[in-house]
Amino acid sequence: MPSADNLAVISAAGSRKTQYIVDRVLASSSRRVLVTTYTNENLRQITERLSIGSGVLPAQVTVMGWFKFLMSQCARPYQSYVLGEAGVIRGLNFIGSKPQYAAKKNPRRYYLDSHDAVYRDAVSAIAVEANRLSQGKVIRRLSRIYDHIYIDEVQDMAGYDLDLLDALLDSPVGITMVGDPRQATYVTNNARKNTNFKGNRISSWLQQRRDRCFIQERTESYRCNQAICDFADGLYPELPRTTSMNNETTGHDGVFDIRPEQVRSYVEQYSPIILRHQKTSDTQGLAAMNIGVSKGSTFDRVLIFPTKPMIHYYHNRDPEKAGDLAKLYVAVTRAKYSATFVIP
Amino acid sequence: MLAKIVIQNYRTFRRFELDFDPDLNILVGDNDAGKSTLIEAIGLALTNRIRGRLFAQELSPYMFHKDVAAEYVAAIQAGRTPPPPEIIIDLFFDSKAELAGLYGTNNLLKVDAPGIRVRAGFNPDYRDEYEAFIARPTDVRLVPTEYYRVDWLDFSSNGITARSVPATASLIDASNIQLQSGVDYYLSGIISSHLDPRERVELSRAYRSLRENFADDESIVEINEKLRGAPRDVSDRQLTLNIDVSQKASWETNIVPHLDDLPFQFVGKGEQSTLKILLALNKNVDDAHTILVEEPENHLSFPNLGKLVNKISTKCVGKQVFIATHSSYVLNKLGLEKLVLLSVNGGFRLDILPVDTRDYFRKLSGYDTLRLVLARRSILVEGPSDELVIQRAYLDRHGCLPIENGIDVINVRGLSFKRFLDVAVLLKQNHVTVVTDNDGQDAADVRARYSAYLAHGNVSVCVGEGKDYRTLEPQLLKVNDIETLNKVLGVSYGSPEELLDYMIDNKTTCALAVFDSPLPINMPEYIQDAIG
Repeated sequence: MPSADNLAVISAAGSRKTQYIVDRVLASSSRRVLVTTYTNENLRQITERLSIGSGVLPAQVTVMGWFKFLMSQCARPYQSYVLGEAGVIRGLNFIGSKPQYAAKKNPRRYYLDSHDAVYRDAVSAIAVEANRLSQGKVIRRLSRIYDHIYIDEVQDMAGYDLDLLDALLDSPVGITMVGDPRQATYVTNNARKNTNFKGNRISSWLQQRRDRCFIQERTESYRCNQAICDFADGLYPELPRTTSMNNETTGHDGVFDIRPEQVRSYVEQYSPIILRHQKTSDTQGLAAMNIGVSKGSTFDRVLIFPTKPMIHYYHNRDPEKAGDLAKLYVAVTRAKYSATFVIP
Repeated sequence: MLAKIVIQNYRTFRRFELDFDPDLNILVGDNDAGKSTLIEAIGLALTNRIRGRLFAQELSPYMFHKDVAAEYVAAIQAGRTPPPPEIIIDLFFDSKAELAGLYGTNNLLKVDAPGIRVRAGFNPDYRDEYEAFIARPTDVRLVPTEYYRVDWLDFSSNGITARSVPATASLIDASNIQLQSGVDYYLSGIISSHLDPRERVELSRAYRSLRENFADDESIVEINEKLRGAPRDVSDRQLTLNIDVSQKASWETNIVPHLDDLPFQFVGKGEQSTLKILLALNKNVDDAHTILVEEPENHLSFPNLGKLVNKISTKCVGKQVFIATHSSYVLNKLGLEKLVLLSVNGGFRLDILPVDTRDYFRKLSGYDTLRLVLARRSILVEGPSDELVIQRAYLDRHGCLPIENGIDVINVRGLSFKRFLDVAVLLKQNHVTVVTDNDGQDAADVRARYSAYLAHGNVSVCVGEGKDYRTLEPQLLKVNDIETLNKVLGVSYGSPEELLDYMIDNKTTCALAVFDSPLPINMPEYIQDAIG
């Protein structure tokens, strides 16, 4: 029976969704709670905030990375239903991926590498299969351990992850999923299952389940000013508009561009955090952060070394030609006051 | 509480399965049936340690079941590549809500239950080295444990720590008291676990300040002053005396418990083992606490054993106790229904014994019930004279005493045959023969009294035929002529009646004479049947 506590929060950047989870967890101290998310950075932040900086979590609260959760609580306990033998899985193969043409009838070769480590894109598949073949033992075990499971960054879930979430939505465990469909910069696995729902399609996946899960939209940004919100919203015209709750003015507020030769003096004047697309991007030798890594962080100002499609969007505001929408969205929405592009 | 154990390839156990009683399990069995191994295995799964050391460090090829090891080596030498054998010990817990995280099917039975396991298996990281090793089959003589790893897991197949095991264990092996200096590891373990963390810290702190004070003592300062000036023949460094303040010199090595002001190691061995057992029993724990006791009867006099057994039965409430014993006294006192008769595949219980039979043995705790339990074949007789005559009859027929063939002749007082048979019918692999007088009734009627037991197939009853031959003595007279018996007994009665009166008045003397006589004696038919 689905829990009446199931909730999906679709939120905009800077809407304090992680803080929302932290507040909810701390408010329900009597319940056994699991908080899980995909990125290590987010995991670290959640642990820090839940423990109020002490590193020691309240009793009853467990914080676990999504893959650790999948491995230890979902795949391992009932692996014998999928793999035939007990205690076969030795570890996780995070680099390799499932051989494309392996036959499913030899599950050990299909899901595991030659050292019996599970391919990363097979972990949730084992979990879902084990649950199916054992008539629901995986979910039953979870519902004995946890009263409520919070999943942050739900937009990163894909493939069999979504099938597992589906099963959890039907269980007595309360599920709270929080995510921003615009920020799907990672995908937990590349399995071909549920490809329709990768990335920003998470909102339609959730909409289809609104009978089992209450959907709440958080469209206030406590971080970015309205100009930044509008620039970012333009990337996703089908999603609701974001209202800025940040009315501070500093004299340099909004979205700007500078030429490469102005970078030095601009950095000196405003001390922005420098964001780049990837490690190989040229940032004039200045220390920079990858956009993907910056997710979840708040900065006063950012200076972005953009890709060609990003530049195109800057000039034309045409999301069709903006390339990786999520990366661009994440990059600009890190800033409270100003997001500036270096444009040759 | 521990609900069940399943063991694979560990020492005597190739495949072993046993359900536990939640309170008390008295482990009984022949030597080599695996009593100590079972105790060791329970401790191993609960602590990942064996004799105080990590299993991974202690793992050796000799811990594998010898047939399993031999088959593996033979297969390698025959050029095949069998998987290296694994030692697995699975401990199942009772279902409880707090144990939800220990649930899974990663156990030898593949059932969904909460539990923990230790597994010593091949470490795939050594695959290349292992393949090189088996490439020369003639060099493979033992299980190559150097390529193994030990995993300590719960049934969800996730690693566990001592903290996450929901039960604690105290192993008490009274026969194996190793005292060099200070407290041995059993005792230090028991003492440490008896103290709460604050008290433990206080103890360490007090010990450290004791060491520090030593150096500040006036006389020591003076002595050290003197030593500092000592001739420097060997070294230029200064020589002083002090107490070892390094980490390894902790209180356990130097502080000794005293009993009535006598240092622990000077107390008798019996007192030492009693003390250890009592410390373990008195422990207050929230977690399920398991107490493993090896042969408590060692080093204890009979009255002290009695005291200890009483303590065990009153103090073990709420704790799960395992006792390996050779003592019928321990067994009868603590209750036959708690007996687990071990074999290398599993255990057998007497828990369905009728209540009045349990009480009977508990009251008459001197009875050697273990003999009946352990003997493959036993002959129950009604008195010492029957016992002697049966021994003689057996010797004549087989050329040796029955006990040399593993047949135990047990003298059962009065009419308690049925109590013993209540036990015997549960032990299917044991054959029990009752030898009884007809006491003036038809043999068929006497046999009919035992019909319920005879139906089990492992009980037979031999009764003297003929109402007029009530007991052993007239039965002997029936099959031997008066001259022979006169000679055997060293008497010279003229009539059978006189001889019979003498025999009945001197039962034991006559039986001894029969047992010792060099002359051939005919034995009554029912005695012959019993020893056939």
